Amino acid sequence: MYIGTSKLTHTYWPGTPFAADALKNISFSVGQGTFTLLIGPSGSGKTTLIQHLNGLLKPSAGEVYFDGKKIGPDKAALLALRRRVGLVFQMPEDQFFSETVFDEIAYAPRNLGLDEKKVEERVNRAVAQVGLERSRLLDRHPFQLSAGQKRRVAIASVLSLEPEVLILDEPAAGLDPEGKGNLLNLLSSLNRAGKITIMVSTHHLDEIAALADNLVVLNEGGLVMSGKTKEILARGAELKELGLALPQVTGIMHELAARGLPVSTDIYSLSAACDEILQAKRADQR
Amino acid sequence: MAALKTEIIIETRALCYSYAGAEEVPPAVAGIDLKVSRGEYLALLGVNGSGKTTLLKLLNALLIPSQGEVLVKGISTVEAERVQLVRQACGMIFQNPDNQIVATTVEEDIAFGLENMALPAAEIRRRVDQVAGRLGLTHLLRQPPHLLSGGEKQRTAIAGILAMQPACILMDEPTAMLDPAGRRDVLETVKELNKTEALAVVHVTHNPAEAAEANRIVVLEQGRIVADGKPGEILTDLKLLHGLKLQGTVAAELAHLLRQRGLNLPTAILQNRELVESLCISEPVS
Repeated sequence: MYIGTSKLTHTYWPGTPFAADALKNISFSVGQGTFTLLIGPSGSGKTTLIQHLNGLLKPSAGEVYFDGKKIGPDKAALLALRRRVGLVFQMPEDQFFSETVFDEIAYAPRNLGLDEKKVEERVNRAVAQVGLERSRLLDRHPFQLSAGQKRRVAIASVLSLEPEVLILDEPAAGLDPEGKGNLLNLLSSLNRAGKITIMVSTHHLDEIAALADNLVVLNEGGLVMSGKTKEILARGAELKELGLALPQVTGIMHELAARGLPVSTDIYSLSAACDEILQAKRADQR
Repeated sequence: MAALKTEIIIETRALCYSYAGAEEVPPAVAGIDLKVSRGEYLALLGVNGSGKTTLLKLLNALLIPSQGEVLVKGISTVEAERVQLVRQACGMIFQNPDNQIVATTVEEDIAFGLENMALPAAEIRRRVDQVAGRLGLTHLLRQPPHLLSGGEKQRTAIAGILAMQPACILMDEPTAMLDPAGRRDVLETVKELNKTEALAVVHVTHNPAEAAEANRIVVLEQGRIVADGKPGEILTDLKLLHGLKLQGTVAAELAHLLRQRGLNLPTAILQNRELVESLCISEPVS
């Protein structure tokens, strides 16, 4: 098991009248180098689960695993875990606290006790990874950047730890179409070229589903589906029941198929939809 | 009805706003003349940093114009002693529901604005019960807000504004943090109020599908209005939108890709069903 949980249960406010099980008996795992989406309605436990994978919460019952080992209560092991599993919170730019972009991204490597030259190397590499123009931005105050740039700085400030796993909570919220597109390209290249294992928690599957190998679906703290993207998204009616929505293009493909156009329905991006429709139209012609 | 429609709720004249200490940066709002009438549902589009949120804050006196003016029901927002009237006439819903709930139960939260208006207790009770019934929150009145779903929290925020009997509601990406069911919940609530009570709506969004629900779209670029028209005109004008780094609806974008690849499709496709309809009757590829 590369990263995952076994019978994980998390209870908030245990032993009080407010005790609530946020996670119930969750078992799942994903392999190294994969891209996984974690979906589920609001309050289904996605954020709680993510926090467990990075050791921010202690299980009420069950275990969390990383790289074949159980994540234990041992503090040194937890610290090591947080270096290898990077977590990007919702609206991460709300947590900026440094005077310059450089210092923001350098914060984590400096805390690792690296010398300043190594720190600079790490910052430069992270900045290049997220595709920011280095010379122009590093000396600026983080709050002077655009929303898309801020989000990329926030991701760079986690990448500077050089994590093996990157977990992001609703990373595209509030970004305009270009910012969203850039973010998806970034996640795809980190995963494919950088060999980083990626997990994204999101409500919106448009385009991002085309990048994902696996889908994990939570509802009311329980794991209700887990498997290959194609298998899970073929269960559209069940997802709808949970208040979730298929990617919009997938909906269009279903309608076309229902009207007799010979198209596949496991299509999650505009470009794939375009290819598929053209092929179907050409086949129709013959 | 025609007479009602011409009643101007909000008017801006040569409106400009620059953030303090940002001399080299161009103004966030750079000369906007805009009128919003009773019963109008206006969607505000633009990339991150185009001035949408700044404009919204200027409309309910959270920001005061650097130059020009904003009139809400004829009251200028610079009249400090009448700011309360401006905010009662024009309430704001923010992106993150957790940032705007102030009280410990739903009913106290809805009553918050009314208490600030120093209304008699019986009148407050009457209005809270009325809007709760209107928005389907009656069964939740005694609940603490943290137990609500995202959509219920946003509806609570809307109820708090509605109780003040406003003429206009301002929304800054109100669905960005919500799941698909919550998103539908909030949008349907607002559309219904717009229709039945002629409540004016100004809705900032990055989601073309949401903008398509409005009856007017205003597009901002660098603090100026660059387009103003019906959703059917603006959201199918992909040359305009792409030039501004924006996107049309998924159906419009897919139709555009297919046209580029030689498929003969009408240019006015906005909704999924229009695309499906066209594809099922259109000529095969040449």
